[in-house]
Amino acid sequence: MTVTEAETSIQEWGDLVENDRVHRKLYTDSQVFAAEMDHIFAGNWVFVLHESEIAEPGDYRQAWIGTREVFVTRDNDGQVNVLFNRCSHRGAVICREFRGKSSSFTCPYHGWRYDARGNLFGVPGKNAYGPTFKSRNMHLAKPAKVESYKGFVFSTLNPDAKPLTEHLGNARAFIDAWIEHNGGEENITVSGAQRFQVNANWKMIYDNAGDGYHVPFSHQSLLVMTKERYGGGDMEYFADADSSQMYLYALDNGHTVIDQRPDMFAKSAWDQQRPQPGREVFEEHISSSLDASEQQQGFDKAVGAGMNLSIFPNLLFIGNQIQVLQPINVSRTAVYFHATQRADVDAQTNTMRLRTQEDFPILGEMDDADNFEECQRGISNAPEDEWIDVSRHYETGKDADVENGMRMGPVTSEIHMRNYYSQWKRLMTVQPKLEVSKERVKK
Amino acid sequence: MSNPATEKTFHPSSAYFDDDYYDWLVSVSDDLSAAVRRNAEIGVKGSQDISDFLSLEARLLDQKALGEWSSFLDARCAYWIPSDTPASDPRTQVTLEIHDHRRLLDRIARLETGYAYSQYPASRTSRVFSGLEIWQSDQDVPEWRARYNFILSEFRNGYQRNLAGWNGFVLRLVDGGFRIVLKQVNLIDCDRPQGNNSFFL
Repeated sequence: MTVTEAETSIQEWGDLVENDRVHRKLYTDSQVFAAEMDHIFAGNWVFVLHESEIAEPGDYRQAWIGTREVFVTRDNDGQVNVLFNRCSHRGAVICREFRGKSSSFTCPYHGWRYDARGNLFGVPGKNAYGPTFKSRNMHLAKPAKVESYKGFVFSTLNPDAKPLTEHLGNARAFIDAWIEHNGGEENITVSGAQRFQVNANWKMIYDNAGDGYHVPFSHQSLLVMTKERYGGGDMEYFADADSSQMYLYALDNGHTVIDQRPDMFAKSAWDQQRPQPGREVFEEHISSSLDASEQQQGFDKAVGAGMNLSIFPNLLFIGNQIQVLQPINVSRTAVYFHATQRADVDAQTNTMRLRTQEDFPILGEMDDADNFEECQRGISNAPEDEWIDVSRHYETGKDADVENGMRMGPVTSEIHMRNYYSQWKRLMTVQPKLEVSKERVKK
Repeated sequence: MSNPATEKTFHPSSAYFDDDYYDWLVSVSDDLSAAVRRNAEIGVKGSQDISDFLSLEARLLDQKALGEWSSFLDARCAYWIPSDTPASDPRTQVTLEIHDHRRLLDRIARLETGYAYSQYPASRTSRVFSGLEIWQSDQDVPEWRARYNFILSEFRNGYQRNLAGWNGFVLRLVDGGFRIVLKQVNLIDCDRPQGNNSFFL
C-alpha cells in the first residue's frame, strides 16, 4: 500500500463514524479490522492479563495484544515480562502451551534458548555465526510499554502512549471501587475462566457491554423464568430502566460504566440473586458464623460489584468477573470470563462467588451472543443498508455533563457507543508509532 | 431454609450442595477420569440395563424431551461441565456449568419460555456414544458409575458442528428405575473458547 492510499483510508475511516450513527463497514471490512489491530490495539493501551494468573516466579501464560501473540512471564525477581511469541531466528512460536511454569523457553525448531525476560542465552553451534550476527539484538521482541494498574497488566507498542493512569483517567475511580468490592488488589485471584467464541466482530460484544437497553428483550427468557419460578429477582430493575436509579457514565478515552449499584444494593443484592447451587448452605453458614449486623456484608462478598465497567478496547468488568475480548478476525471474537476469588474470605464465600459468577454466562450470555451473531449476519448480508443507529437519547437532551469530567446518560442511552466511537475515530485517524525492543533486558 | 432477608424460598432445595457433597463430586470425578483397568464385576443383565438407560438418556436430549429427561434426575443430582481437564475442584475453579437439581429445572424452564433466543431456532442434535464402561460404586447402595466417549453433532440455523469428549455418570436404582445422580460432561476442548452450547450436552 502506498502512503497516499493509506492516508485516504485513514480519512475514510473517520467518515465511517458520525455522531449518532456508524457505518456497517466498521464491523464487516477486513481492512478496517487490520487497521484496528494497529491503531486501536497495538497503538493503544490494552489489557493483557491479571497478575494473579502468573502469581509465582516461573509462571507464564499466552496472551494477546489484539491479534499479536505474546506470552507473559513472571521472572525470578517477580517482574512481569510481556514477550512476543516468536523466535528471533526463523520466527517459530516458542511458548506453545497456553499456560505453565518454566524459567526458560527453548524453541522446538533449532533449540535457541531464552530466559523469562526474553534474553537469548543459548544458540546451538554458535561458532557458525559471525560478528555481524553477534552485534545484533536477538532477544525476544518486547512491546514498547508495559504497566500494571493495581494488578491489571496493560501493554502497548506505542512509545508515545500516555502513562497508563492517564489512559484510564476518570475510569480509575470505578476500577478502584470494583477492586475495593473484591477485597483490595492484594486479595484478588483469578480462578479459571469460561471461554466462548462468537462469530461476530469484537465491537458487537463491546457495544453490548454498555447497553442498558437490551436486557428485557435479549434476556427475556431469564426474566420470565425468574419471575415464574421465584416471583422475580435479578436484573428486574432493567424492565423500565430509564426510570431506575441506574445511570450510564461516559468516561475518558472511550471508557464507560453502567452503575447498577443504586438499584442492586438498594435492599439486598444477595436477595436478588437467582438461587445458586448450595445457596441454602451458604445462608446457613453466614447466619451461624456472623453476627446479625455483619451478615449483609457477608452476603455482599459473594455477589457482583454492580458495575458494567468497560475499559476500551478489551477489558470489561462484569459482576465480579474480568472479561477480556480477543479479536480473531473481522467476524470472530473470543470472549474470556475470568472468575475471581478473594484471599481474604473463607472457602464457603469463595465457592459461592464462583456459583454466582457462573449464573449469567450459563443462563444469559448465549442469548446475547446469538444476537451479536445475528447482527453480524444482518449487516453482512444487506450491504446497501449502510448505517447502524446509535442515536438513542442523542436528541432527548438527557445526556448531561457531570462531575469529574464525566458525561451521564439514562441507562438505555447509546452514549456508551457514541463515546467509544469518538475515541475510535481519534485513534483511527492518526498513524500510531508502533515499536518493539529486541534489546537485552537487564535485571 | 428461607432467605433471612425476605423469607423467600426456592424449590427444590439445594441444601445438599454442601462441602461433603463437593468432596464427593471431586472423588467421583477422580474415579471417572482415572487411567486404570476397572474391576468388571457386574452382572451381564445389569450392564445391559444401564447401557439401555444411557441410550435413552441421550435420545431424550436429542428429542428435547426435557420434561421426561428431568424425571430421571435424582433429587440430589449434579450436572457438571468442567472448564479444565482433568476437572478441578469446582470450589476453587470456575466451571463451564455446574447445576444442582434446582438450576437444571431453571435451565429447562428458561429454554421452554419461548424467549431463549440462543435456542431460536433450536439446535438439532445427534449423539453417538461408544466405549461404555460400567462399574459398581464402592457404596452399600445399588449405585453404578459409567463413562463413554461421545460425538455430538449439532445442526442449527444452517450450520453443523461436532462436539466431542466423554461423559461420566453416577446412576442409582430408586424404586426399580435408574436415576441420574451425576452427569459430568468432559469436552475435549473445555479450556478453549466454546460456541453456543445453550442446549443440554
